[in-house]
Amino acid sequence: MKKKLSIFMVFVLLAGVIAGCSSDSQKSGKSKDDVDLRIWSFTDELKKPIKTFEEKNGVKVELTIVPIADYPTKLKPVLESGVGAPDVFTGEIAFLKQWINAGYWENLSEKPYNANELSDKFVPYVFDLGKDKDGDVRALSWQTTPGGIYYKRSLAKEVLGTDDPAQVGEMMSSMDKVFEVAEKMKEKGYSMFPDEGSIRWFAQGDNPQPWVNENNELKLTDEKIQYMDYSKQLRDNNYTALAPEWSPSWFEGMDKPIKVKADGKEKETKVFSYVLPTWGLHSVLKTNVKNSVGDWAVTSGPSPYFWGGTWLGVYNKSENKELAYKFVKMMTQDDEFLTSWSKETGDVLSYLPVTNAIKDNFSDKFLGGQNNYEFFLEQSKEITPGIVTKYDQQLDTLYGNAVQQYVTGKKSKEAAIKEFYQKAQNAYPDLKVPKK
Amino acid sequence: MKNLNRYGYVFIAPFWIIFLVFSIYPVALTFYYSFTNYTGSGTAQIVGLANYKRLLTDTYFVEAFFNTWKIWGINFALQIGLALLLALIFSDMRMKLKGLAFFRSIFYLPNLITISSVALLFGILLDWQHGSLNMMLLKLGVISDPINWLNEPTTAQLSVSLILTWMWFGHSFIVVMAGVSGISQDYYEAALIDGANRWQTFSKITIPLLKPILLYIMITSLIGGLQLFDLPMLLTDGIGSPDGSLNTMVLYLYNQAFKYNNYGYAAAVAYGLFVITLIFSAFIFKGMYGKERKQPRQV
Repeated sequence: MKKKLSIFMVFVLLAGVIAGCSSDSQKSGKSKDDVDLRIWSFTDELKKPIKTFEEKNGVKVELTIVPIADYPTKLKPVLESGVGAPDVFTGEIAFLKQWINAGYWENLSEKPYNANELSDKFVPYVFDLGKDKDGDVRALSWQTTPGGIYYKRSLAKEVLGTDDPAQVGEMMSSMDKVFEVAEKMKEKGYSMFPDEGSIRWFAQGDNPQPWVNENNELKLTDEKIQYMDYSKQLRDNNYTALAPEWSPSWFEGMDKPIKVKADGKEKETKVFSYVLPTWGLHSVLKTNVKNSVGDWAVTSGPSPYFWGGTWLGVYNKSENKELAYKFVKMMTQDDEFLTSWSKETGDVLSYLPVTNAIKDNFSDKFLGGQNNYEFFLEQSKEITPGIVTKYDQQLDTLYGNAVQQYVTGKKSKEAAIKEFYQKAQNAYPDLKVPKK
Repeated sequence: MKNLNRYGYVFIAPFWIIFLVFSIYPVALTFYYSFTNYTGSGTAQIVGLANYKRLLTDTYFVEAFFNTWKIWGINFALQIGLALLLALIFSDMRMKLKGLAFFRSIFYLPNLITISSVALLFGILLDWQHGSLNMMLLKLGVISDPINWLNEPTTAQLSVSLILTWMWFGHSFIVVMAGVSGISQDYYEAALIDGANRWQTFSKITIPLLKPILLYIMITSLIGGLQLFDLPMLLTDGIGSPDGSLNTMVLYLYNQAFKYNNYGYAAAVAYGLFVITLIFSAFIFKGMYGKERKQPRQV
């Protein structure tokens, strides 16, 4: 009896271990339950489209949401091994290039997808970003995320004499002009931007170049170096409210005057403008502004830019590619679905047949009735394709640090740049970095 | 007898399977990767000792090494000092303080908060323009301009040290108190009768008898301290700002692996860290126990 009991106990213990190991592998087997399609993403954005898709096609879709911070680390091993992998997965601009060239996404340029035929139906830079180094399409996106400058109409009227987006945009069409506006704002006690980090999107100036060129060389353009001076100028002349992006005071400044302490004095200031892209309106401004609804407008800055964006594609080892592409197709090329989607969310789409049909009838109460849709579509056309590299996110952070060191006066410009080069080389030993 | 033995193996099998799969295998694989240029995807190519050669000349790793020591050292000195001081007060026969259990839990509380909440909390408290600390100091007239605590290398490091102290002194205090209560009251009574003052009782009785406990605290704290990662990661931008002052060894490892995809090199950093931890633990151990052997037993 004792013996039997011990054998039983051993069995229980072992079963526990084995169960722990096997549950995962079972999930990946196709035969398990009745899920037809597995999708991984980093937001809950796809929940509604998936519901539509399920109803349309009579299939069952499982959505796995992994928070963005863990998304690449969790997805990569799954894609590498193919165990428990999704059929469709989304990618954010920050790691898009890396994944596209790693070949995780199915080549959509081949039959039966023939995605190349779609090239003139999409906003050029968006379509271009989904291509790998051989020019094959790997991922598509339903949205375009160009940016602008959101400003408060009341302050524009008071200081600049007009709140018309076209005229205000003209007054900020170069960095020098931006500083003229900033000076006028300062005279009235207002702050041009929340902090100097706001202008980083204009760092490319009128000469947009990729961080790393095709010869694997790190390129720091003169425009990017000049951006250091612009940042310092903003700080030194007290043109900002010293409220770093995403900090509590940054959010507060959208709706209320905020306090700034400098040179032994405390003053209260209103922030004139925020540099944000399409999604900044819906997920940042609208969610944080209560009092000044309708007092906002959006216009263009010194140079066009884009910020963020989500692409999606079919996993190349998926066993259900046909259905997987069907979903991608619905998300990116379905007239009916996309029309209702953009009306519901305000998302600016990249699929031109739909945008051309709907762009004229948009107006946003938050922006005092302005048609931001048309504005952003115009902006998206001006974005230079081909300047995104897989290094961007990290190099931007490293360069941002260097600029910060210079702005706060801790380092000279030369020392900050040198430090940037060293850190870039340390992070990416294969890069050819200028030895200065 | 033979049969029993076999059952024994089966019984310990679950532990060994888990241990092999989740501990030995990753450790061995990391060792293998440290000789390759693995980038997290695709296949790894063997590059020999290149990663280790790079590690020895890597100024950023050296910087991370000293940062880690600075941050841990200040924190440890304060933490153990505070714990001992409190233990001294609470164990004093002449003072007879009440409420030990209450204070013990109060002191321990910070240790129960998850580190991300702590980082968020202090991020707000130490904020440059709107932080409570600066507001308070400005109101009191201690400073005339707000200090950007997390943007100056010295204050940033000091902040991390102090936060760690705040989190861990309660833990050390409890362990020290446990050690103190294990010391026989006879010694203290004898010392009292002999007319020893507080400092003499403390330095001649408490400290020597607490040695094993102190050694334990030191080694566990050192191992934890050398792995310092979460606070520096969460307090600033995650790559060691300002000016690399919060770049600790594990943070460096993490960034090399998961931000820059240099998995091979990161594996070498991990083994470098392992060797460093080993050396210092052995060093402390020897320092504490080696001395004891030299001194003959005192009666």
